Amino acid sequence: MFRGDDVSARVAAANRLEAVATVLGEQRTREELLPFLTDGVDDEDEVLLALANSLGKMIPSVGGGSYAQSLLPPIELLLMVEENTVRDAATASASLIASALPDEIFQDKYASMLTRLARKEWFTARISSAGLIANAYPRLTQTQQEEHLKLFAELCQDDTPMVRRVAAQNLGIMVENVVQVAGRCSLEEGGVVTTILIPLYETLSSNEQPDSVRLQTTENCVVFGRVMGNLTLIQRLLPLIVATIDDRSWRVRWTAAAKFADVINAYNPIPGAMDALIPAYEKLLQDPEAEVRTAATFNLAKVAQGCESMILPMTAVGAEGDDDVSAAANFTGERVAAAERLVKRVTLMTEDDSEHVRAALAMVATELAPILGRDATITHLVPPILLLLRDAASEVRLNLISSLESLNKVIGVDLLSQSLLPAILDLAQDGKWRIRLAIIQQTPLLAEQLGKDFFTDKLSSICVNWLGDDIATIRDAATRNIKELTALFGTDWACDHLLPSIDEIRQNSSYLRRLTAVQACGRMAVEMDPAIAQTEVLPLILEMATDTVANIRFNVAQALGEMGTICDPNVYDQQIHPVLMLLHDDPDRDVRFFADKTSLRLEEAFAQKR
Amino acid sequence: MTASSLTSGGNSCLDEQIERLKRCEYLREGEVKALCLRAREILVDESNVQRVDAPVTICGDIHGQFYDLVELFKVGGECPDKNYLFLGDFVDRGYYSVETFLLLLALKVRYPDRITLIRGNHESRQITQVYGFYDECLRKYGSVNVWRYCTEIFDYLSLSAIIEDKIFTVHGGLSPSINTLDQIRVIDRKQEVPHDGAMCDLMWSDPEEIDGWGLSPRGAGYLFGGDIVSMFNERNDLDLIARAHQLVMEGHRSMFNDALVTVWSAPNYCYRCGNVAAILELDENLDRSFKIFDAAPQEARGVPIKNPPPDYFL
Repeated sequence: MFRGDDVSARVAAANRLEAVATVLGEQRTREELLPFLTDGVDDEDEVLLALANSLGKMIPSVGGGSYAQSLLPPIELLLMVEENTVRDAATASASLIASALPDEIFQDKYASMLTRLARKEWFTARISSAGLIANAYPRLTQTQQEEHLKLFAELCQDDTPMVRRVAAQNLGIMVENVVQVAGRCSLEEGGVVTTILIPLYETLSSNEQPDSVRLQTTENCVVFGRVMGNLTLIQRLLPLIVATIDDRSWRVRWTAAAKFADVINAYNPIPGAMDALIPAYEKLLQDPEAEVRTAATFNLAKVAQGCESMILPMTAVGAEGDDDVSAAANFTGERVAAAERLVKRVTLMTEDDSEHVRAALAMVATELAPILGRDATITHLVPPILLLLRDAASEVRLNLISSLESLNKVIGVDLLSQSLLPAILDLAQDGKWRIRLAIIQQTPLLAEQLGKDFFTDKLSSICVNWLGDDIATIRDAATRNIKELTALFGTDWACDHLLPSIDEIRQNSSYLRRLTAVQACGRMAVEMDPAIAQTEVLPLILEMATDTVANIRFNVAQALGEMGTICDPNVYDQQIHPVLMLLHDDPDRDVRFFADKTSLRLEEAFAQKR
Repeated sequence: MTASSLTSGGNSCLDEQIERLKRCEYLREGEVKALCLRAREILVDESNVQRVDAPVTICGDIHGQFYDLVELFKVGGECPDKNYLFLGDFVDRGYYSVETFLLLLALKVRYPDRITLIRGNHESRQITQVYGFYDECLRKYGSVNVWRYCTEIFDYLSLSAIIEDKIFTVHGGLSPSINTLDQIRVIDRKQEVPHDGAMCDLMWSDPEEIDGWGLSPRGAGYLFGGDIVSMFNERNDLDLIARAHQLVMEGHRSMFNDALVTVWSAPNYCYRCGNVAAILELDENLDRSFKIFDAAPQEARGVPIKNPPPDYFL
């Protein structure tokens, strides 16, 4: 099969290597199958890919870790091929094999394979080596470590940018491994990190490198920041990270923007670092590219939090209400400065040209409130939030309304309610039904935040209107909203403010409306006081059992199944059961089906109650 | 008693299959075979002019646009809560003909009185070999068995439907060889769509602002004018002909003083036409209202599940 003419057959054969090896047994696999495969590494890429994947799974087939070196010769060849998907698969398999090898074989066979690959003339082998060498470092002998570090340094300065790119990706791993093996002394003056790795980082982030290499700068910067703690040496690196902000490639800037919270967290123990980083971040928020601004905006709250913990590590941010406020009063001026600077940025960003940036801002802006504390929130954060509530794009308004909770915890929404109302009413009638759906789903939460009186006065009618929406999904969501509101505001409220309108819809001439009424009744009833539900809601449902439209009748059966369980046994016997018997003999088979299903469910429930 | 317990057991299994299909997962070959067998028993009893009661929602072409079908149900309401009548062309052109047709067929088997499927010109062995359904079956199942089961079922699909004796629905349009509904009722429909004749015309014809009959640029069926429609409606005591078959950018279009309406339910047809789709809701009083909808947004479309290639090598 493996030498056949059909490529797909050879792919299939390569995928089934494990099975073949099981049949051959461990010894013959090592002595016959693997050498045979090594000979055949000159095939179509598809076959090689399947082969590369299979080899990683064959460790048990060759007799476990102590024999796994027999898998290395074919893997080594695959690590050199031109197609990168094959190399990637081979790299993954090589790591698996490496971790199964005992130390002495690892240091002997595996390490020498990496050395060979690193010195190969064709760059694809060097790419594979660059991808594997950092991870192998901790398990080598000390002399080998020195040698491999030198190899790695060479790969970082390779002539081929593709090799440098992979080396740059692995620089962070190398740094961590070196510090882990050599201890913190490697960080000191004259240590390995200082003499070898930092210069490498400087080289890889320099302006002459292509974008794809510089792209790794931010990630590496985070690692360096994390391992180096507050050593003064880090000062050397700060200008490099700040430089990425002005990089000519938007992809590099985008990466920096997306990772900036990590940068802040890694560097916040270092005194003065924020003085350089916060302005850098502000610059990202004003980047010419909207994508960069959006990515930076998403990090707004996390960056602000990072700055805060710099000044007051371990302060419980989530402390309840008044404590937070009084704590806020005691904070140093510097802390307020960082967060307030960012809030001022928020105000400017509400005028951003890009809808996506504003939508991102609306999603995270309220998270600044717990950081700012009550007073600063009212002075600085509320004005831009009010601007966002009046934004032209519905997405922006919706995002803000969906994220009100953190603001509510700090200042309560009553301050905002007058401004919230037009925004909510507007979204409730938005032309896009998914926007309407989103605002309905927010309604129970808003009801809780706005309070019963305000809600009843201004918003309960719109909740009823949703029941008559043109879109079925909206009507369905509206019935669920009715259920939640009933649970929140109680039975009496539901009877006063919802039930009369639902009764009206129940008599509509279109079955689509009547259907919504049945579903609303069934859903709200379970949240009500059972005694009242039985006298007020149950009759409404039962009356509809004689509707001319079969769909209504089987929804009556379903609604009875939903609310029946909360009823008294005698109500079941005298009112529900007779109606179900009627539906049981309905001419429509679906009505009969759902009536039977409900009967079964309720009989069981009441058998337990009796 | 045995029969009813058998069907109810079958129902729970069907309900599970419908759940899977709604997630755009396709059924196993054996399940498709069993489903088609059950569908055949139901469809064989249907008339060539299947009677449908109001209220009902009429839907036009779907063409394998599964996520837009899901959107349709979101806009119109789920089956069985709402009654549906689909005017054919479930398969071809879109990426998910298999899932689309199987979902509709499973709903048909589960709720025969709630959903009616009639045949379109794409429900044909010849057409599906050219426009995608055949290749999709082969790709997804590794064999053409599923295509064979489905195309056998196509032969059993009804040719047209009549709602409350007043609204005649068909995929394409009228035929010069048909004057009365009874002439449709006597067609032997259990066959591949023929190249000409009454059965072919019902699935291929288009209305046009002309007098009398005209040649169709499609190469099958005819063009028919307003006079033909009003004659047909008068003779058969009809208020309206509802049909699909032609892309209309606004989702629906009325012609000949509201004597005929085209309903199109594939938004952004072929993922590139930029049109909206429509469904026609008829309530129990036959009051009409169109619901317009857009293609499902990208977030609502799952990533196609990549099944490993079937093991037909060994």
